[in-house]
Amino acid sequence: MTTARLTRRTALAAAATLAMPRIGGAQPAMIKLGLIHPVTGALAGAGGRCRMGGQLAIEDINAAGGIKSMGGAKLEALLGDAQGRPEIATQLVDQMAEAGAAGFTGCFASALGLAATQAAAKYNIPFSIDSGIADAITTRGLKNTFRFFPNNTTATNDAMAALDALNKKAGSPAKTAVIVHEDSEFGTNSVKLQAAMLPKIGIEVKAMLPHATPTRDFTNIVLRIKAEKPDIVLISNYENEYVLLARTLVQQRVDLVSTFSISGGGFNLKFAKEAPTVAENMIDFNHWHNPKDPRALAFRKRVETATGFYSWEHPFGYFAVKLLADAWERAGSADKEKSIAALNASTMSDHFMPYGATAFTNGQNSGAHPVALQIQKGDMTVIWPDAFADAQAVFPRPKA
Amino acid sequence: MKWLALAILAAIPFALPSQSLVNIAMLTAFSAFLGQCWNIAGGFGGLTSFGHAVFFGTGAYTGAILQTRYGLNPWLGLPAGFLLGAAVGAGIGAASFRAGLRGSYFALVTLAFAEVFRVLSNSTDFTRGGLGINIPLNLSWQNFQFADRRATYAVVLALLVLATAAATWLTRSRFGARLAALRENEDAASALGVDLVQTKTLALALSGGLTAMAGVVYAQTYLYIDPTIAFGSERSVEMLLVAMIGGAGTVWGPLLGAVVLHLVADISRNFITTPGFAPMLYGVVLLLIIALLPQGLAGLWATLRERIRRA
Repeated sequence: MTTARLTRRTALAAAATLAMPRIGGAQPAMIKLGLIHPVTGALAGAGGRCRMGGQLAIEDINAAGGIKSMGGAKLEALLGDAQGRPEIATQLVDQMAEAGAAGFTGCFASALGLAATQAAAKYNIPFSIDSGIADAITTRGLKNTFRFFPNNTTATNDAMAALDALNKKAGSPAKTAVIVHEDSEFGTNSVKLQAAMLPKIGIEVKAMLPHATPTRDFTNIVLRIKAEKPDIVLISNYENEYVLLARTLVQQRVDLVSTFSISGGGFNLKFAKEAPTVAENMIDFNHWHNPKDPRALAFRKRVETATGFYSWEHPFGYFAVKLLADAWERAGSADKEKSIAALNASTMSDHFMPYGATAFTNGQNSGAHPVALQIQKGDMTVIWPDAFADAQAVFPRPKA
Repeated sequence: MKWLALAILAAIPFALPSQSLVNIAMLTAFSAFLGQCWNIAGGFGGLTSFGHAVFFGTGAYTGAILQTRYGLNPWLGLPAGFLLGAAVGAGIGAASFRAGLRGSYFALVTLAFAEVFRVLSNSTDFTRGGLGINIPLNLSWQNFQFADRRATYAVVLALLVLATAAATWLTRSRFGARLAALRENEDAASALGVDLVQTKTLALALSGGLTAMAGVVYAQTYLYIDPTIAFGSERSVEMLLVAMIGGAGTVWGPLLGAVVLHLVADISRNFITTPGFAPMLYGVVLLLIIALLPQGLAGLWATLRERIRRA
């Protein structure tokens, strides 16, 4: 008898255990999310920061109970190193799609983003671009591709408006400019637009000086700048070249009203801390958080505590993931069609970027805008637009 | 027997359910094809080129420009790319061989040509400068864009077969014999009546034409090219490595080289997550092969046989 009862009890317990997961979906599914960035090679630094931002978002979403409309489904990161090569980015998309990725974020560089979004389009898997400014990423009709952040045209238009506003406010001390740019897609793209727009805001372009990436000596370029005697120097290039050029401008004592860059590769807090005299009062038009939002300051502190260095790539990686998570939350599903529909209808306002609520037109968030930044006393300040500014612009800068 | 085994091996990817495995096979075949193209000039002719990207880029831009600017069917890119690539090869060959350049001087000249083409494509509007060319996405086989990676693999495989056939022809033909004679001893071959400039130029043109076809396929697969992707030295080095590691001047060398290099790269990428470690391991394997197998993998068997005989 005892044996029989025990057996029955055991059987019941076993049945209950087996039934458990089915009752009320007590075991939430995992949602796999592919993060594709260059974390080795020339773009490793920036790619790594985007990746870290994405990982922080996943950490936060999971800690807050996952995707609630899907029974608390947790996000799982699939990490891929694209090494700066489009072939590898494509290969990673294939691998992750087969591993069951429900979405992608990436890829820091536009060339990687172009290849990866198109590969993901074959599977119709949503792709949230974190960085990669080329307009073409969202203008070529891929239904799966979304960019929360500004594209190149917006960045350049806004930058010219900012430069114009800063200049007029100071009594138009800047009348002539020289443009220095790196000669690949990123630099050329911005510069063509700039050269066409500068005359419209009353600034004459005296010369355009392209240089290769990498360039390890800017003496010749700076000597040419000196010969042209411009009021401002506009810079479009990557990190090392930006810092080198800035340093050479100071070494050669080039007298300027200001420097102005659009997405200046080396314009960051590391530069501000490592070369404070060179960096002081340089102006860059770039991505940044809203410094008036306490969540942004907390996020910056969190990243700085973890790595000692914070840049705009961190929130980019972070909100690229948040955008997808928000879509899954509203769709109540990670189904591809439903997620893409939810992304198209996205009005995400729970963020600390200076963008307002999201509104997508052909995959591009039309509310996304960069801001004008200036390094003042070794820290990053927003000087334009006024709504987000936390400091007054130093323009023109004091004579050396 | 050997052919049958190879045919079966090459057919396996068509039966694979996984697109990413097919993609790895495609990339391996693509590398093998590039290596074989280099091998035709660099291995059989001893024309050690450091700038084969000049042909690759020529093909990539030819295909891209013909369809985006002139609205031509992308398939026409293959023959057009071959012709232009061959013309560039003939031009570079005629200029350098007439001037008597060989060895490291020739290598430097090819490197310079690739760089000149990169700078040109970076600064002219015709190639859209540094912006690069975006080929509009339009997946259909008529448009030479495939949703299924097996189709891309089939195209690459066909080109690999073509290049390997050309390499085989070089081992059996009079032209190949003349080329080998020039490689081994230019003065002796010239004394015997081999036309140095003509023979070498033809070899470079053949190699250039085939390499340009690879550029066309690349542009059709990734739909975006810019001067660095097309003419960057990384591509030249990749071609050269595949052939050298496998065994330059042998028919099967580039195939072996591509398989081994891709195995090492893919395995290390998938199983080692520490950033930077995979490329490092790749470098170590390269160093070991270069140090221990100067004749490449294809020479391994010969080396082993020699050692056994001596022992």
